[in-house]
Amino acid sequence: MLKTDVVIIGGGISGISTAFWLIKRGIKNVVVVEKAYIGSGSTFKCATGIRASFTSEEHVVLMRESINLWKALSQELGFSYMRGGYVWLLSNEDQLKAFRELSRIHNSFGVPTRIISVEDVEKLVSKIDTRSILCALYDPLAGKADPFEALYSMAGFLRSAGVRILQQVEATRILQNGPQVVGVETTKGIIQGPIVVVAAGYETRGLVKTVDVDLPLKNVPHHAVITEAYKRAFDPLLVDAASGSYLVQTFHGGFIMGTEIEEREEAQPTPRVDFLYKVASVWIKYLPWLRNVNFLRYWVGYYVMSPDNHPIIGPLPEIDGLYVAAGFSGHGFMMGPIVGKILAEWIIDGKPSIPQAARLSYKRIEEGKLIHEKAVIG
Amino acid sequence: MRKRANPIIVCRCEDVTLDEVEKILEKGYRDLESIKRLLRVGMGPCQGRTCIPLLIRLLARRLKKDPEELLIPPSRPPLTPIPIRLFVEDEKRAED
Ligand SMILES: Cc1cc2nc3c(=O)[nH]c(=O)nc-3n(C[C@H](O)[C@H](O)[C@H](O)COP(=O)(O)OP(=O)(O)OC[C@H]3O[C@@H](n4cnc5c(N)ncnc54)[C@H](O)[C@@H]3O)c2cc1C
Repeated sequence: MLKTDVVIIGGGISGISTAFWLIKRGIKNVVVVEKAYIGSGSTFKCATGIRASFTSEEHVVLMRESINLWKALSQELGFSYMRGGYVWLLSNEDQLKAFRELSRIHNSFGVPTRIISVEDVEKLVSKIDTRSILCALYDPLAGKADPFEALYSMAGFLRSAGVRILQQVEATRILQNGPQVVGVETTKGIIQGPIVVVAAGYETRGLVKTVDVDLPLKNVPHHAVITEAYKRAFDPLLVDAASGSYLVQTFHGGFIMGTEIEEREEAQPTPRVDFLYKVASVWIKYLPWLRNVNFLRYWVGYYVMSPDNHPIIGPLPEIDGLYVAAGFSGHGFMMGPIVGKILAEWIIDGKPSIPQAARLSYKRIEEGKLIHEKAVIG
Repeated sequence: MRKRANPIIVCRCEDVTLDEVEKILEKGYRDLESIKRLLRVGMGPCQGRTCIPLLIRLLARRLKKDPEELLIPPSRPPLTPIPIRLFVEDEKRAED
């Protein structure tokens, strides 16, 4: 039987980042259990975008901190990250009014978004057709990171620090002795440990149910498609505010696109041709040269949605030693670095150093104190 | 690690050599899904039509594992690259 100090279930950005910060904080014995391969949940299906232009204080403040960490980590570990910005394309007065108000909120928390003119958009995004837009919101602090490089370099760091990352091992049950967590049952035997972190994405709810807590998380399929690789065209991630669509060129050169389409909660992630029609028509309008670019690969993954579009991060009050990080509602990649740090602080210090982080624990759900977030895209 | 004078190409789209695959195996990765993303094998225009079967054979022999333990990447649509204009209604009509 394997014995350790901390068992982390889930080898996505949340679980790997938590292991990373625990090691940095001096915890030595950490085991990560991953049922398939690291990144195989939503992390390797994400659109790589990182921003702090949200609408709640909690999100803006924590994403801003996460962005600082992204920069430091990319330098320490040597993965691709850049602050290429986000450009939210606005097509009418109502949107402009709403985004002016949002920008005011961002600015008040130190996130320097601003409204920019059509000419500015043309400077940032070469060969864009701006006929249908009025202006844009520019978020210069936002950017992108390569999820493969980021996760593999963190995992490399963990391996050299002696962390065991067990792949193709599935957690089947959380084990408790009275009010205390004592380990995890897996398909390859029991792992004992007084602290268990569940960062299992779309399976977090099912796992936590094994200790009779029902987290209000729902899995909703979201679609993305990538083109063949081209030389770098422009840096910012583009958002079409009207349709909730995005487009970003990856470091490797492919353009990833996504858009909102109706999906049912808990539906099987299944490709749909109507997604390709919608996303193509939105982006060809802005970037006519995309006509001759080829779609290469199309995938569908889950957004794990919480009732207020904010993740649940922290301890579960009824059970000593049990922590969760899930329900990122479509923006858990960008939040990864700060999430790991917050969990390490909960585990080691008993509370996070940033007050806004403490508000994201399960307590708010129990007490019915939901937080509002409107800026969910794709 | 030995390095070949004439590299053996495993994936032509992304220009990946056998030596690079061996290096990843030495790092402890044992499945195709990870090798794919670490080296980009099978992520180019042919979508792994030649390199993935090659790697399956190589790994199955070398690691003595069942195919399902190798985590063979699923094929994702479209099976061959297609121009985006075919997904825009009026342009499609014009081409028909
Ligand atoms: C199409 C799409 C685009 C997105 N774009 C962005 C974006 O641009 N920016 C952004 O910030 N976010 C984006 N997201 C959201 C982001 O991908 C997720 O919020 C984030 O990856 C969550 O990371 P995680 O580690 O919490 O979960 P996951 O990455 O899902 O990791 C959970 C892991 O747990 C494992 N697991 C599950 N059950 C078990 C078990 N029983 N035992 C062992 N292991 C288990 C899984 O295999 C998985 O590897 C996007 C998501 C999608 C689908």
